[in-house]
Amino acid sequence: MQRRVSDIGPVERTPLDSPYTISTDLYEALRHIPHDVGGQADLPVPYLEKEEENWEMNTYVTCECLAWRGVWNAEMRRRAENDLGATLYFGLPYYARWATVATKTLIDQGLITPDELSAKIDEVRARLRKAAS
Amino acid sequence: MTRFEIGDRVTVRDATTLFHTRTQAYTRGCTGVVVEHRPDWIIPEDEAWGRDRDGRTEPFYVVRFRQSELWSDYTGFEIDTLETEFSERWLEPAEEAAT
Repeated sequence: MQRRVSDIGPVERTPLDSPYTISTDLYEALRHIPHDVGGQADLPVPYLEKEEENWEMNTYVTCECLAWRGVWNAEMRRRAENDLGATLYFGLPYYARWATVATKTLIDQGLITPDELSAKIDEVRARLRKAAS
Repeated sequence: MTRFEIGDRVTVRDATTLFHTRTQAYTRGCTGVVVEHRPDWIIPEDEAWGRDRDGRTEPFYVVRFRQSELWSDYTGFEIDTLETEFSERWLEPAEEAAT
Protein backbone atom coordinates (compact mmCIF):
# COMPACT_ATOMS: atom_id res chain seq x y z
CA MET A 1 0.00 0.00 0.00
CA GLN A 2 2.75 2.41 0.96
CA ARG A 3 4.59 1.63 -2.26
CA ARG A 4 1.44 2.20 -4.33
CA VAL A 5 0.91 5.61 -2.74
CA SER A 6 4.52 6.57 -3.35
CA ASP A 7 3.98 5.84 -7.05
CA ILE A 8 1.32 8.49 -7.46
CA GLY A 9 2.99 11.47 -5.79
CA PRO A 10 6.41 13.06 -5.80
CA VAL A 11 8.56 11.74 -2.97
CA GLU A 12 10.27 15.08 -2.50
CA ARG A 13 8.44 18.34 -2.40
CA THR A 14 9.72 21.10 -4.66
CA PRO A 15 11.04 23.75 -2.27
CA LEU A 16 9.17 26.53 -4.15
CA ASP A 17 5.88 24.61 -4.01
CA SER A 18 5.05 25.58 -0.47
CA PRO A 19 7.44 27.32 1.88
CA TYR A 20 6.59 26.38 5.42
CA THR A 21 9.18 28.68 6.92
CA ILE A 22 11.25 31.54 5.54
CA SER A 23 14.34 33.30 6.82
CA THR A 24 14.16 36.55 8.72
CA ASP A 25 16.07 38.25 5.90
CA LEU A 26 13.54 37.10 3.32
CA TYR A 27 10.69 38.29 5.53
CA GLU A 28 12.38 41.70 5.81
CA ALA A 29 12.46 41.87 2.02
CA LEU A 30 8.89 40.64 1.57
CA ARG A 31 7.37 43.05 4.06
CA HIS A 32 8.74 45.95 2.05
CA ILE A 33 5.74 47.83 0.66
CA PRO A 34 5.76 47.82 -3.16
CA HIS A 35 5.41 51.55 -3.76
CA ASP A 36 8.19 52.43 -1.33
CA VAL A 37 11.15 51.97 -3.66
CA GLY A 38 13.31 54.98 -2.72
CA GLY A 39 16.89 53.90 -2.25
CA GLN A 40 16.48 50.42 -3.70
CA ALA A 41 18.88 49.24 -6.36
CA ASP A 42 17.56 49.85 -9.88
CA LEU A 43 18.63 50.53 -13.44
CA PRO A 44 18.53 54.02 -14.95
CA VAL A 45 15.18 54.84 -16.59
CA PRO A 46 15.21 56.89 -19.81
CA TYR A 47 13.45 60.25 -19.55
CA LEU A 48 10.55 60.48 -22.01
CA GLU A 49 8.55 63.57 -22.99
CA LYS A 50 5.08 62.10 -22.76
CA GLU A 51 1.69 63.78 -23.07
CA GLU A 52 -1.22 62.55 -20.97
CA GLU A 53 -3.41 60.26 -23.06
CA ASN A 54 -7.20 60.27 -23.07
CA TRP A 55 -7.55 56.91 -21.33
CA GLU A 56 -5.21 58.10 -18.60
CA MET A 57 -7.19 61.26 -17.87
CA ASN A 58 -10.46 59.30 -18.13
CA THR A 59 -9.12 56.85 -15.55
CA TYR A 60 -8.05 59.69 -13.28
CA VAL A 61 -11.44 61.42 -13.48
CA THR A 62 -13.33 58.15 -13.01
CA CYS A 63 -11.32 57.40 -9.84
CA GLU A 64 -11.93 60.91 -8.50
CA CYS A 65 -15.66 60.49 -9.16
CA LEU A 66 -15.63 57.17 -7.30
CA ALA A 67 -14.11 59.05 -4.34
CA TRP A 68 -16.72 61.79 -4.64
CA ARG A 69 -19.44 59.12 -4.60
CA GLY A 70 -17.97 57.58 -1.44
CA VAL A 71 -16.52 54.37 -2.87
CA TRP A 72 -13.02 55.08 -1.56
CA ASN A 73 -10.49 57.80 -0.77
CA ALA A 74 -7.06 58.43 -2.32
CA GLU A 75 -5.25 56.62 0.51
CA MET A 76 -7.43 53.54 -0.02
CA ARG A 77 -6.57 53.62 -3.70
CA ARG A 78 -2.87 53.71 -2.88
CA ARG A 79 -3.20 50.80 -0.46
CA ALA A 80 -5.16 48.81 -3.03
CA GLU A 81 -2.28 49.37 -5.49
CA ASN A 82 0.17 47.96 -2.93
CA ASP A 83 -2.16 45.03 -2.41
CA LEU A 84 -1.81 44.08 -6.08
CA GLY A 85 1.58 42.67 -5.12
CA ALA A 86 4.94 43.46 -6.66
CA THR A 87 4.41 41.54 -9.92
CA LEU A 88 1.23 43.37 -10.94
CA TYR A 89 2.31 46.67 -9.36
CA PHE A 90 5.55 46.94 -11.32
CA GLY A 91 4.12 45.20 -14.38
CA LEU A 92 1.23 47.60 -14.98
CA PRO A 93 1.57 51.16 -16.31
CA TYR A 94 0.79 53.91 -13.78
CA TYR A 95 -2.86 54.56 -14.69
CA ALA A 96 -3.50 50.88 -15.45
CA ARG A 97 -2.84 50.34 -11.72
CA TRP A 98 -5.55 52.89 -10.98
CA ALA A 99 -8.00 51.25 -13.39
CA THR A 100 -7.24 47.78 -12.04
CA VAL A 101 -7.74 48.67 -8.38
CA ALA A 102 -10.87 50.67 -9.23
CA THR A 103 -12.48 47.56 -10.70
CA LYS A 104 -11.22 45.42 -7.81
CA THR A 105 -12.73 47.85 -5.30
CA LEU A 106 -16.07 47.90 -7.12
CA ILE A 107 -16.13 44.09 -7.01
CA ASP A 108 -15.13 44.08 -3.32
CA GLN A 109 -18.07 46.35 -2.56
CA GLY A 110 -20.52 44.30 -4.62
CA LEU A 111 -21.18 47.17 -7.04
CA ILE A 112 -20.18 45.06 -10.04
CA THR A 113 -19.54 41.33 -10.42
CA PRO A 114 -16.39 39.71 -11.83
CA ASP A 115 -18.34 38.15 -14.70
CA GLU A 116 -19.93 41.50 -15.63
CA LEU A 117 -16.45 43.00 -15.74
CA SER A 118 -15.02 40.12 -17.78
CA ALA A 119 -17.96 40.25 -20.21
CA LYS A 120 -17.44 43.99 -20.72
CA ILE A 121 -13.71 43.56 -21.30
CA ASP A 122 -14.45 40.78 -23.83
CA GLU A 123 -17.04 42.97 -25.55
CA VAL A 124 -14.60 45.87 -25.94
CA ARG A 125 -11.83 43.54 -27.05
CA ALA A 126 -14.10 42.06 -29.74
CA ARG A 127 -15.05 45.57 -30.89
CA LEU A 128 -11.39 46.62 -31.14
CA ARG A 129 -10.49 43.44 -33.00
CA LYS A 130 -13.31 44.05 -35.48
CA ALA A 131 -12.23 47.67 -35.98
CA ALA A 132 -8.66 46.56 -36.62
CA SER A 133 -9.63 43.96 -39.24
CA MET B 1 -0.99 70.99 20.83
CA THR B 2 2.06 69.78 18.98
CA ARG B 3 4.82 67.69 20.47
CA PHE B 4 7.55 69.20 18.28
CA GLU B 5 8.35 72.82 17.44
CA ILE B 6 9.92 74.34 14.34
CA GLY B 7 13.67 73.84 14.60
CA ASP B 8 13.47 70.69 16.74
CA ARG B 9 15.76 67.87 15.71
CA VAL B 10 13.75 64.67 15.24
CA THR B 11 14.55 61.07 14.34
CA VAL B 12 12.19 58.93 12.27
CA ARG B 13 11.12 55.75 14.03
CA ASP B 14 11.89 52.41 12.39
CA ALA B 15 8.47 50.91 13.09
CA THR B 16 7.09 47.86 11.30
CA THR B 17 4.48 48.47 8.62
CA LEU B 18 3.22 45.40 6.86
CA PHE B 19 0.60 46.83 4.54
CA HIS B 20 0.57 50.57 4.06
CA THR B 21 2.52 53.61 5.14
CA ARG B 22 3.59 56.98 3.81
CA THR B 23 6.80 56.94 5.84
CA GLN B 24 9.52 56.17 3.33
CA ALA B 25 11.92 53.37 4.21
CA TYR B 26 14.93 55.55 3.36
CA THR B 27 14.00 58.03 6.11
CA ARG B 28 13.79 55.43 8.90
CA GLY B 29 16.32 56.07 11.60
CA CYS B 30 17.41 59.34 9.98
CA THR B 31 17.53 62.65 11.82
CA GLY B 32 16.30 65.97 10.45
CA VAL B 33 14.84 69.31 11.50
CA VAL B 34 11.16 70.24 11.77
CA VAL B 35 10.55 73.12 9.34
CA GLU B 36 6.77 73.33 9.12
CA HIS B 37 3.63 72.36 11.01
CA ARG B 38 0.91 70.83 8.87
CA PRO B 39 -2.77 70.65 9.87
CA ASP B 40 -3.99 67.71 11.93
CA TRP B 41 -5.21 64.93 9.70
CA ILE B 42 -6.22 61.28 9.84
CA ILE B 43 -3.06 59.16 9.86
CA PRO B 44 -2.50 57.27 6.57
CA GLU B 45 -2.52 53.95 8.46
CA ASP B 46 -6.24 54.53 9.21
CA GLU B 47 -7.29 56.55 6.16
CA ALA B 48 -6.03 53.74 3.92
CA TRP B 49 -8.70 51.49 5.43
CA GLY B 50 -11.49 53.96 4.81
CA ARG B 51 -11.66 55.32 8.35
CA ASP B 52 -12.44 58.82 7.10
CA ARG B 53 -14.66 59.61 10.07
CA ASP B 54 -13.35 57.59 13.02
CA GLY B 55 -9.65 57.39 12.08
CA ARG B 56 -6.98 58.60 14.50
CA THR B 57 -6.04 62.23 13.90
CA GLU B 58 -2.52 63.57 14.52
CA PRO B 59 -0.44 66.66 13.80
CA PHE B 60 1.80 66.36 10.74
CA TYR B 61 5.27 67.83 10.37
CA VAL B 62 7.48 68.68 7.42
CA VAL B 63 11.00 67.52 8.25
CA ARG B 64 14.11 68.66 6.36
CA PHE B 65 16.98 66.19 6.01
CA ARG B 66 20.44 66.67 4.60
CA GLN B 67 20.73 64.43 1.56
CA SER B 68 24.00 63.12 3.01
CA GLU B 69 22.03 62.01 6.10
CA LEU B 70 19.67 59.96 3.92
CA TRP B 71 22.19 58.48 1.49
CA SER B 72 25.53 57.29 2.82
CA ASP B 73 27.01 57.41 -0.70
CA TYR B 74 25.59 60.85 -1.60
CA THR B 75 27.98 62.71 -3.89
CA GLY B 76 26.11 66.04 -4.31
CA PHE B 77 26.58 69.29 -2.44
CA GLU B 78 26.62 69.28 1.35
CA ILE B 79 23.81 71.89 1.43
CA ASP B 80 21.41 69.68 -0.56
CA THR B 81 18.28 68.81 1.41
CA LEU B 82 15.05 66.84 1.11
CA GLU B 83 11.76 67.68 2.83
CA THR B 84 9.00 65.19 3.52
CA GLU B 85 6.04 64.84 5.83
CA PHE B 86 5.29 62.61 8.83
CA SER B 87 2.47 62.13 11.28
CA GLU B 88 3.50 62.67 14.89
CA ARG B 89 3.75 58.96 15.76
CA TRP B 90 6.66 58.50 13.38
CA LEU B 91 8.92 61.07 15.05
CA GLU B 92 10.87 61.08 18.29
CA PRO B 93 13.26 63.66 19.73
CA ALA B 94 16.75 63.22 18.28
CA GLU B 95 19.29 62.19 20.84
CA GLU B 96 21.89 64.91 21.10
CA ALA B 97 25.11 63.69 19.56
CA ALA B 98 27.84 63.22 22.15
CA THR B 99 30.29 66.09 21.82
